[in-house]
Amino acid sequence: MTITNATRGLGSLNRRSFLKAGGASALAASLLPGLMTGTAKAAYSGTLDMLAWDFQPDTIKSLVGEWTAAGNPAVNVAVIPNLGYTPALQTRLRGGDKIDLYYNFAYNSQKFVNEGWAKTLNGLPGVDEMIADMFESARGRHVNAAGDIISAPYFSAVHMLHYNEKFLADAGLAVPTTLKEIYDASKSLQSTVASPYVAYWVKEFCEEYLHTYLLNEQITAFDDAGQPVFADDPKTVGVFEWWQTMYQEGLAPKSLLTDDPGKLSNEMAQGNAAFYVLHHYFLTSIRSLEGPQSANVKSAAAGPSTLQIGEVLQMGQSDSDDERLATWELMKYYGWKDTDGKFKVFNQWAKAAGLAAPYAGFFTDPEVIASFPDYYDLAMLSDTFASKSNVVPARTLPWYPDFQAKVGDIVHALLLGQATPAKTVEDLTAAAKGAQGGRTL
Amino acid sequence: MAGATDLLGPKADRAFGLKLVAPAMIILIVLLALPTLLTVVYSLHDVPASGSSFGPFVGIENFTIIFSSPVFWRSAQVTLTFAIGFVVLSTVIGLAMAMLLNQRFIGRGLARALLIIPWATPWLVIGILWKWFADGSVGGLNAVLMMLGLTSDYHPFLSDPNTALPITVLAAVWRQASFAGILLLAGLQTLPEELNEAAQLDGANWWQRFSNITLPWLRPVLITVTVFNVIYAFLQFDVVFAMTQGGPGDTTQVLSVLIYRQLFVNTNIGLGSALAVILGVVALIGGLTIVRLFYRREMH
Repeated sequence: MTITNATRGLGSLNRRSFLKAGGASALAASLLPGLMTGTAKAAYSGTLDMLAWDFQPDTIKSLVGEWTAAGNPAVNVAVIPNLGYTPALQTRLRGGDKIDLYYNFAYNSQKFVNEGWAKTLNGLPGVDEMIADMFESARGRHVNAAGDIISAPYFSAVHMLHYNEKFLADAGLAVPTTLKEIYDASKSLQSTVASPYVAYWVKEFCEEYLHTYLLNEQITAFDDAGQPVFADDPKTVGVFEWWQTMYQEGLAPKSLLTDDPGKLSNEMAQGNAAFYVLHHYFLTSIRSLEGPQSANVKSAAAGPSTLQIGEVLQMGQSDSDDERLATWELMKYYGWKDTDGKFKVFNQWAKAAGLAAPYAGFFTDPEVIASFPDYYDLAMLSDTFASKSNVVPARTLPWYPDFQAKVGDIVHALLLGQATPAKTVEDLTAAAKGAQGGRTL
Repeated sequence: MAGATDLLGPKADRAFGLKLVAPAMIILIVLLALPTLLTVVYSLHDVPASGSSFGPFVGIENFTIIFSSPVFWRSAQVTLTFAIGFVVLSTVIGLAMAMLLNQRFIGRGLARALLIIPWATPWLVIGILWKWFADGSVGGLNAVLMMLGLTSDYHPFLSDPNTALPITVLAAVWRQASFAGILLLAGLQTLPEELNEAAQLDGANWWQRFSNITLPWLRPVLITVTVFNVIYAFLQFDVVFAMTQGGPGDTTQVLSVLIYRQLFVNTNIGLGSALAVILGVVALIGGLTIVRLFYRREMH
């Protein structure tokens, strides 16, 4: 089967306009059952190759095995460690390794398309409906400015404030929402906990916090064209002052620059910290540790707006249209719904670790609701996805990985007192412009 | 037999010898010479990330970008500091361990066997082990320092810019010193006991015997050990990556980490290759300097 514009269906409309239109979801809902069932079987008879990072590899193989057992092609699943996944993936693709479907970080996705390592999903049957089914807030991660669909979701999450409800109640404090309130609450709690605030501030992750904290103060870092507009916002320096003060005054432990998130979950579980900002699903890890304070930890929206992250599935180069279609069937199953219209794969990830999907229907599906432990406030989580989070579309631009790699050094210099907040703004702006400009160290 | 003799003549010998070394030569060319050549060629091009071609020839532009970047000079400074600490400590501690294990004492065999353990452990595993050992909340290093009364509180060694680099150096030294110790112990075991006994009878004290007999005897082994240490120092990646990934900030960002980031994360192949060429040349110069220095002293 040759994929042409004639087979693109909804894609042949002005896709960008269509996807932005509110009526798209309703249209998708009416078309969905037929689309899901009508594309269940692929004509491809070969084996598909899939590459994933090392999160519950047995579950991955089991999920994919079920897809194959339903009459679909066999899938050869390879799993490699999370640490160094991007370098390993890039090296394999650069070396000509053919991978039909692979996990990827969202910030790599446009770069991979530009380099010819990933194909756009434009025109594949049901792809526009998949996008329309998403929260509008999530679409910018999967659809680029030109309207090309560059990826499907693997999982999604929002940055949340995990807090110790008992510590706050004992101190007579309300759940903080602004950065200033977090500072004040942390100061008040220092008599209970030496360093009340923890976050995953290692070099590689500072970039997520950059957006989380800026969004918390309703500052958008980049416009849709990728211009670093945060530099023009007078509130930005205040965010960096807050960040530096939290570290310099010891409200956040000095070891945060190299601590891993598992250790930080344990700090919350043991009662050695009162606040922990990271992805919503870390509530699962804190609770499952069953420490003396685990049961007192709850989650709240991290401010009026927060960062919505999501890792993605991308389609590699295929030898034939049949293979491409078969890969797409697997992508739909893995990144959207199965042929029965169920969030089978996402539901499994929800059960396993509290991971979410960027679809409104995910949060109202009774099976999904049953999969989340009671301590999750799914209505609040869904609301955060829907209207209180931002994917920062610039994070998928092709130059972004270069910028992302530089943020850690700059933020660490700020935290260590080696740079002022104003200098940090300058350095981050220069890093963004340098990344857009081409070769820089 | 005449024919056979002809066949074993000088030319035939060379041909036969070439055939014998051919497999090894091919492996070296494919795995060492070609990648080295390719890296040099890449360093002169703006190579596209996709690897579809060499990209446009840019001459020494990649090197100009590198040498004009403060990131490079900061990383070079970190690399040099790391290298000096690594080479000096690995060699001195290795020598001390070798001399200790060359004495007669109960359990010497076991102690010698234990010396091999760090050397037999992969660099990456050493990095992970030391990351936990130096942890600011649960690390054994803090526990030991507290027991010894050297500190009153747990210290986040790897997040502190003043201690992160020394701790990564110590972690790397822990392995390399055992390697140095093994080689130097082998050298010490060839030292005739009569030399030391005669010097002792002549009234030479410990230092005189060490500086006039032991050290000169060990010089050939010391050259080998030091050259290895210099090369390992400049090319060290695994331990630093596992422990700090170059952080906090750029405190431990040695050149090999910078190369990794440019080549494999940012896919700036040309720039990363130019950095690799620079590091390769620095390591080569470092190794050759040590060889010349030691050999010259030996000749004098």
